Amino acid sequence: MKKSSLFASASVLGLGILLNVLGASHADAAANCIKGDRKAPYTLGWANIYSVPTWMKQTQGTIEAEVEQLKKEGLVDKLVVTDAQGDSNVQIQQIQSMIDADVDAIILIAGSSTAPARVLADACAKGIAIINFDSLVDTNDVTAKVNTDSHQWGEQATKFMIDALGGKGKIIILNGPAGVSVSDDRRAGGNDLLKANPDIQILAETNTAYNVAPAQEAVTSLLFANPEIDGILSFGGALSAGAVLALDKQGREQVPITGENARQFLELWKEKGLKSWATMQPNWLGAFAAYTAVQALEGKDVPAFVKVPLPIIDNSNIDEYLARAKDFPADGYIYSPYDRELFAKLLAQK
Amino acid sequence: MSDASISPHARSGSLYWAIQARRNIGVRGLFVVVLAFMVAYGFLFHGLFTGSGFAKFTQSWFPLALVAMAQVILMLTGGISLAIGALVSLGAVIAATTMTGPLGVAGGTALVCLVGLGIGAATGVIVVRLRLPAIVVTLAGSFIIAGAALLVLPRPGGAMPPWLSDLLAGNTPAAFGVLVVVVLLWKLYLATPLGLSLYAAGENPVGAYRSGVPVDAARIAAYAISGLLCTGAGLFVAAQTGSGDPIIGNSFTLNSIAAAVLGGIGFLGGQGTMRGALAGSLLLSLMISVMFFLGFTPVAQYVAQGLIIIGAVAIPQFRMRAR
Repeated sequence: MKKSSLFASASVLGLGILLNVLGASHADAAANCIKGDRKAPYTLGWANIYSVPTWMKQTQGTIEAEVEQLKKEGLVDKLVVTDAQGDSNVQIQQIQSMIDADVDAIILIAGSSTAPARVLADACAKGIAIINFDSLVDTNDVTAKVNTDSHQWGEQATKFMIDALGGKGKIIILNGPAGVSVSDDRRAGGNDLLKANPDIQILAETNTAYNVAPAQEAVTSLLFANPEIDGILSFGGALSAGAVLALDKQGREQVPITGENARQFLELWKEKGLKSWATMQPNWLGAFAAYTAVQALEGKDVPAFVKVPLPIIDNSNIDEYLARAKDFPADGYIYSPYDRELFAKLLAQK
Repeated sequence: MSDASISPHARSGSLYWAIQARRNIGVRGLFVVVLAFMVAYGFLFHGLFTGSGFAKFTQSWFPLALVAMAQVILMLTGGISLAIGALVSLGAVIAATTMTGPLGVAGGTALVCLVGLGIGAATGVIVVRLRLPAIVVTLAGSFIIAGAALLVLPRPGGAMPPWLSDLLAGNTPAAFGVLVVVVLLWKLYLATPLGLSLYAAGENPVGAYRSGVPVDAARIAAYAISGLLCTGAGLFVAAQTGSGDPIIGNSFTLNSIAAAVLGGIGFLGGQGTMRGALAGSLLLSLMISVMFFLGFTPVAQYVAQGLIIIGAVAIPQFRMRAR
């Protein structure tokens, strides 16, 4: 009834604009799972797989900050958080609870790449926006997936190492745990470049957990066995910190090393005057996921996969990162700065 | 709680109920807590009383109920299994790799059951015949079984027939129906000679043996049934998720023990009832949903979970001692 009176009172021009807007919003509502029947302010559900690691806590911090901002804008009224404590079955049950509670969006780091498929299909069918980041699911019944590229991570790190050594030298490679996809993908990313540069000699490789102590131990024994090491190609930030400490303890000269944005590593980098390179899995992927969920609910088109470019830290910008160090936990990660402009740019890419 | 109402002996007189009531004493406190949580859940989530709401809720509970039963059968004989989770994973990956292949659903189900029974029986033979501690054998077994699951399916994948997923884990309470049948079968099993021997073999194996109870057979049978329940739970998890994941079952080992202990099952064998353990598993599952609807933060959930478990275990103990 209301609609008809509106149409009747609209001038021809006004009608034209109105139809345009309606048409446009229809075309825009192409984002998967979105039905357009949900109205702001929205309730967001953040289905975490495990909340204890520092990276997760910082990530949740960025989500909460983003939600505060969205609340001020009147777009979000509530954030519900679950923690599956590492249990994929519990995560499924918690996603089911979110569906039961009729949240408007679910932000997800998945515990299993396959297990949540059916419950996500249910959520998608109910018009709930699902933004999956960091640890991705195989199913396409989500609104968008957001991640950096682990393969690229490995490739860029390897490129830095080859350039730093002028294409010739003896290196050791530090990997994360074997059989973990992130670790495997980063290592695989370096393969082609290492093959193309046969003068880079790989002395040894390690597989350790992404922790300082085991990496330090592994590198220490490698140092005894190899008196001459020209570079350390590390595929993890804590691993790099462990390697730098191992070199330091033995009084060995520091060598070019790759790493991540772990605060401990960045501080060692500065303290020891390293020639280094680092990238990161930015914690603000969480904030970006929350932002993307709301954009999708508001009817904006959202790409099915948002590839987030890896932010790079090198000797030219390390000081900018360390200047902000006090804002981050001592065992945490100094992530690159982010704002709405960056988010809008990421969403606009195709 | 469920088996009190569906007992096959309902007409055999007041003595039966008197005995049942006495066996409930230790778990009455737990029943009250579970009931309170049920009421709270129904109050917080009205959809629970719809067909699909009830179906989804029981589906979350079902695999935990099965593994709790699997653990209880062993604990009643004085044993324990640390391989529960690995067996669930193995059942899930076998189901997810066979059912859409040439074996089909029937063949896949048969294979899942056979593997469960076989591994369970083999574990039982090793523990019982070689007189090795169950905790060591099943810990070692868990590594082997977990490895086997990874060999069958190295990365999460595989597929389940969608109709089977919809049947078992769709919008109908089929899983609850299966659970009722399993509980009835348990009641029947307790009436067989092997079933009757279960408690005796656990509480006083030497005395039971001297009285002519087939202690070894009862214990080996318990391991076999336990294995079957675990791989069956795995099959259900595969149907529920529509795929296989070689590590999906990990958390079930500890949760099965938690459910059993919550339900008043003793570690020394021969003490406790299946209904207690089922209530314990129901409580573990209910807590997750109820705390979500109450809006607890994850940290508060950790604390609340611990307090509820301690409370449910300790209060009946205190009351028994006070008597």
